[in-house]
Amino acid sequence: MEGLLQLLFNGLSVGAVYALFALGYTLVFSVLGVINFAHGAIFTLGAYFTYFLIGGTVGANGLMAGQQLPFSLPFWLALPLAGVGAAAVALGLERIAFRPLRERGSDPLLALITSLGAGVILVNLIQLLVGAESYSIPVGTLEALPVAISIAGAKVRTVQVLLLAIAGLLLVALSIWIDGSRSGKALQAVSEDPVTAQLLGINSGRMIQIAFGISGFLAGVAGGLVGLSVSIAGPYFGIGYGLKGLGVLVLGGLGSVPGAVLGGLIIGLAEACVPADLSGYKDAVAFGFLFLMLLIRPQGLLGRPLAEKV
Amino acid sequence: METGLLVQMLLGALLGLSVYLPLRCGQLSLATPGFYAIGGTVAALLSTRVPALGSGDAFYPIASVLLEMALAALLTGVLALGLGRVVLRLRGIYLAIATIALVEILRVVTLNLEFTGGALGIFGIPQPFSGPEGYVGLTLILLAVVCWLCDRLEKTRPGRAMAAIRDDELAAASQGINTADTKLLAFVLSALVAGVTGVVAAHFLNSWNAKLGNFDASITTLAFVVFGGSRTWLGPVFGGLLLTALPELLRPVGDLRLIVFGAVILVGPLFFPQGLITPQLFQTLWRRMERSAVPRPQEGRP
Repeated sequence: MEGLLQLLFNGLSVGAVYALFALGYTLVFSVLGVINFAHGAIFTLGAYFTYFLIGGTVGANGLMAGQQLPFSLPFWLALPLAGVGAAAVALGLERIAFRPLRERGSDPLLALITSLGAGVILVNLIQLLVGAESYSIPVGTLEALPVAISIAGAKVRTVQVLLLAIAGLLLVALSIWIDGSRSGKALQAVSEDPVTAQLLGINSGRMIQIAFGISGFLAGVAGGLVGLSVSIAGPYFGIGYGLKGLGVLVLGGLGSVPGAVLGGLIIGLAEACVPADLSGYKDAVAFGFLFLMLLIRPQGLLGRPLAEKV
Repeated sequence: METGLLVQMLLGALLGLSVYLPLRCGQLSLATPGFYAIGGTVAALLSTRVPALGSGDAFYPIASVLLEMALAALLTGVLALGLGRVVLRLRGIYLAIATIALVEILRVVTLNLEFTGGALGIFGIPQPFSGPEGYVGLTLILLAVVCWLCDRLEKTRPGRAMAAIRDDELAAASQGINTADTKLLAFVLSALVAGVTGVVAAHFLNSWNAKLGNFDASITTLAFVVFGGSRTWLGPVFGGLLLTALPELLRPVGDLRLIVFGAVILVGPLFFPQGLITPQLFQTLWRRMERSAVPRPQEGRP
């Protein structure tokens, strides 16, 4: 029973990160119909931002070796600020890699390449500045909170509970915004049809920027949380998440917000259930799901059927 | 320029062509690195585990390399035939994601299986040549064959059918083109090219591991095509040669080289949405040449 609960918590907390990650993909996909391949790099940036905002020092490598910010913030303040920083970068990304293509009405396929180029730049810029070593956000950052708490007999790391709570909060806030506010409705209209939305008086360009901003914020926060719960394994650590995020995205349904959450939790739980002696195959779980889903139900669990436009 | 780099550039051009083939019918498949990895693994396994092929000789017999190529082509071809039937029902970004998933599943499996050498891979793949010059010859011949094939494809019925599908699948189908079979043909050809390229690459690199066919490779090879242009086969060849050489040519800028590489991939599609090499480019060049070759009629004659 305790083992099962432990498994559940492990799975859910990983799944929550996947969900946050995939939500960023899905927001951009719903308004632009393209996948932002730089999303993993934004996630990585969020993790590094968090690390430096809490007063972490740059290691021995990189141009900024040995430096640190003149101040250090508590984690609860550093995390949202890192999210804002990541959102700012995501907005810059939209400006450079997406908007010029959109304005010219180019093939959406090209955005795959430009966003990937931007991702390569970001990742290597991080490596140039702070080196390739791994950083970890000390758990002591959480000050008064205990390292682990026990729930119904199962020992659960506080970080995991925190992760689940923050992710849950963000997801709820996001769905309230999308379904309950004017600008959220506008976003839905743009994802339905940008041109018609524009004709109806919605500033489509602005809504696309908002989608990028939120997507960046979610990725940044997810990065900071993973940095706290696991560690920042180096500039490339977002790429693996970026790929698994694709699995989550397809499983839940491209462009579906509740789908991204459901997909994230399912894949997180499924990975937690992989037995230890087969743990090498863990990374294939998300892709196995993805592949099967595409063959059985390409629109995903909660996506709408793909309409054929003639 | 180093001869080794030249071989890598030529291999890059071959991989570019492999991505280009499905794109000719408008199908964005990123499965190339997967088939490339299968080809490489086949070559690595056969040449190191089957002594009868001649791994003990001073030079590994070229006939054995050709045999490996044939086997790799057979394996990737059959696999592509089966997988293609299934994945080609998907369109656009869905096909791209499905093929990324295939490549990743294959990578994880190769990484974990005992007989493929696990994470370390397979070492000491025997050499058929004494130096990189031999590989230049081999890859050049291979590239020439594939280019000739692609050129024929642009001028024959199946190739025209592919172009028709790229422009409008529905219209092509209504003209009596068997779209499913045509797309499958392009997918299988792409897999064959990637598989055979993998065989040469395994011998050239001397070792083989799961990392060589990963997501990074999917994207780099796609960049070859997008950057070079996907309207004629010269585009991916040019893109493959240039983008493979670029990180090496950028060695002088040291740590900045991958940043510059990223900037090139970012900026290329913004300024050349059709890629650098387009049929229009040839037409303009051709017209200019004609104009300068033929003397212009003099004006102002009575």
